Amino acid sequence: MSPVLAVEGLTVSFRGKIPAVSDVDLTVGGGEIVGLIGGSGAGKSTVARAVAGLVRPDHGSIRIAGSELLGARRAEVRRLRRMLHLVFRDPYASLPPTARVADIVAEPLAIHRVGNRGERADRAAEAVEAVGLPTALLRSFSHQLSGGERQRVAFARALVTRPRLILADEPTQMLDASLRRDMVDLIDELANDRRIAILHVTHDLGLAQHSCARLVVMCRGHVVESGPTAELLAAPRHGYTAALIAAAQHRPSKGLS
Amino acid sequence: MNRGLSRGLAIGGVVLLAILLLVALAAPLLAPYDPDERSGRPFARPSAEHLLGTNDVGHDLLSELIHGGRVSLLVGVVAALVATLIGAAVGVAAGYARGWVDTVLMRAVDVVLSLPTLPLTIVIGVFAGPGLGTQILVIATVMWAGVARELRAQVLSLRERDHIQALRAMGASPVHVVSHHLLPAVTPLVVPQFVLATKTAILLEASLAFLGLGDITAKSWGTMLSLAHSRSAFLTDAWLWWVLPPGLAIALTVLAFALLGFAFEERARPSLRVRSRPARSGPAPRRVARGDGPALVIENLAVTYTGDAAAVADVALTVSAGELVGLVGESGSGKSTVAAAAAGLLPLAGEITAGAVLVEGRDIATLPADELRRMRGNRIALIPQEAMSALNPVHPVAEQLAEAVLVHRRVGKQAARRRAAELLTLVGIDPGRGRDYPHQFSGGMRQRVVIAMALANDPAVVIADEPTTGLDVLVQEEVLALLDTLRRTIGIALLVVTHDLPVIETVADRIVVMKDGRVVEAGPAAQVLTAPEHPYTRLLLGSALRLQVPEPAP
Repeated sequence: MSPVLAVEGLTVSFRGKIPAVSDVDLTVGGGEIVGLIGGSGAGKSTVARAVAGLVRPDHGSIRIAGSELLGARRAEVRRLRRMLHLVFRDPYASLPPTARVADIVAEPLAIHRVGNRGERADRAAEAVEAVGLPTALLRSFSHQLSGGERQRVAFARALVTRPRLILADEPTQMLDASLRRDMVDLIDELANDRRIAILHVTHDLGLAQHSCARLVVMCRGHVVESGPTAELLAAPRHGYTAALIAAAQHRPSKGLS
Repeated sequence: MNRGLSRGLAIGGVVLLAILLLVALAAPLLAPYDPDERSGRPFARPSAEHLLGTNDVGHDLLSELIHGGRVSLLVGVVAALVATLIGAAVGVAAGYARGWVDTVLMRAVDVVLSLPTLPLTIVIGVFAGPGLGTQILVIATVMWAGVARELRAQVLSLRERDHIQALRAMGASPVHVVSHHLLPAVTPLVVPQFVLATKTAILLEASLAFLGLGDITAKSWGTMLSLAHSRSAFLTDAWLWWVLPPGLAIALTVLAFALLGFAFEERARPSLRVRSRPARSGPAPRRVARGDGPALVIENLAVTYTGDAAAVADVALTVSAGELVGLVGESGSGKSTVAAAAAGLLPLAGEITAGAVLVEGRDIATLPADELRRMRGNRIALIPQEAMSALNPVHPVAEQLAEAVLVHRRVGKQAARRRAAELLTLVGIDPGRGRDYPHQFSGGMRQRVVIAMALANDPAVVIADEPTTGLDVLVQEEVLALLDTLRRTIGIALLVVTHDLPVIETVADRIVVMKDGRVVEAGPAAQVLTAPEHPYTRLLLGSALRLQVPEPAP
């Protein structure tokens, strides 16, 4: 069976400059959490944004459940897009500032014209419960929520179309440390219980070690290393990976200056 | 503008406009005669029967004035509405679609904006012939471009916001994004645009009508003026009752719309408002001679933001020379308020209501403004969070460092430059790079420059507010190592504020943990990290997902 997400030879450049992402390969299977690791400017977010259709790749292939996304006809693109959802880093910016939770969560259903108003409301309530929020929150406005609640709403919005793939772009980065673990637990739950494929973009190796089965390490737009998490962390082959590991342990690194 | 005054002016605008609209709506009831009926002899002077006299064919001028308001307002509002709708459609389309659509539409806007308005309206008006429809068409044609330009700029910035990007990532069509999200977001800006456009449209209508391009069967104020002019009323006494009233009516209407439009605009853009500074009350300055005490002493500090409960209460901490103290807390813990109070940089709404902040024994909470300014950047320095926004993008970094020196020291330019080079060396940057601009440095290097700037005047106390947030993980370590080295070598008292406990656990001598505006735990780093007393500290330590890998063989 083909993986939920298969990216091959993905190259993205902005305005004809040096590619931000070049020749990236990666796959994520159903129920699998893959960590896309790297420092700022490594190109990891660009990969996620390319899969979500926010930036146009120069070339390469993005297959969702075996079907090619790039160059597909409009109806096919819409069908494939419904299977995936991108969760942004900043929950304060990624939700509309003046809308009710119920409408925010139901929006993907409205976009894809799924069900009538009542059915959408039911599914939104279901999704809000699934991320561990009380349904009383459905009537709240986004600005009344805390950062942690907002990010859960963003995940509820991701779940409402019952996607097969969630791209999570540093979803814990803006949250307080005491909330990060809960968010990671939620992501684990989505992968384990719902068999959703998750590409978790992060620079936090501690977090990746905790929840990702495999890691893909990016540096300056290239994949420098990938493999099962435990093996990769125990014996990094690339100097950049070693430097990231040292930094995560707050040790001086010998690899990079 | 002062708030009370601007509110008064807005109310004035509303009242004035309401009167004008009521008069226009109730014209058939209010007007003593049918304006198109010969109700008296021609050129009659004002009398009890004809309060404003009559015109050359015996029409009652007061009735014409009252009815004329209907035409003027109608043409103005409809033309402004058409112009605003076209402008909004073009602006939103150009801003959202970008690419060639944007190029084509905006060049059209440029062309319209660069043409002189009045000659253009006259040319089109003459070409299309007189009439109300023509006037509306002509006015809308010259006015939509301004609206389009304004809205395009707004849409361009809105479409890059995360919540709009999120919609596109969900597969939303442009129609959905524009109709459900962009239009509601720009509406508050469209309303003042429309009101101000109405004002301009009414003036243009009057000009066109005066030039004879109005509809002679539906007389507006402009048409009245035009007729008055052609019957030489401007040269006789008749201007008092024939020219002045419609002129005043036009001026008042324009004024009403202008007042209303500016009020709307101010509401849509709060930055146009100027806040007044609340008076600072507090105890008299107190100076404590404590030469050998800690460089920074915060004693039972309480800070309150206007109208709210205390944001910070009963906070105490000390930082000695050469010591690095970590102030840890999550959002809402009050750590940034403590940092701002310690740096003498509390925002306007914040006020120290109790306690003291002693920098080298002087209480900065009660210092007069000019003395406080002399302390800031000199004895106390702040390393702000965002390195890029803390540097001026258009000046070389060495120049900015020299400037920081010159603010507090009376030295020559040469000496300041030498000091800048010294500072760069101190933070590990080749002084030769001082000629480079901030954008030529990497994020970590920029943060080093910002640190150098904070050190420019050998401060005793340095406060670093989230100095590693937003930096690359590898660079974070570099910056912390630099701060650690600096406090040892030059002996500054360093307070590092962070939300991320693991970041400072290897460098801090002491750690202070804050929650909900209070200190919940404080002590030597080793003790806080290994034997935390407060459950919240345990939660912070326990929730950190630490990387666990065996130490590589040396």
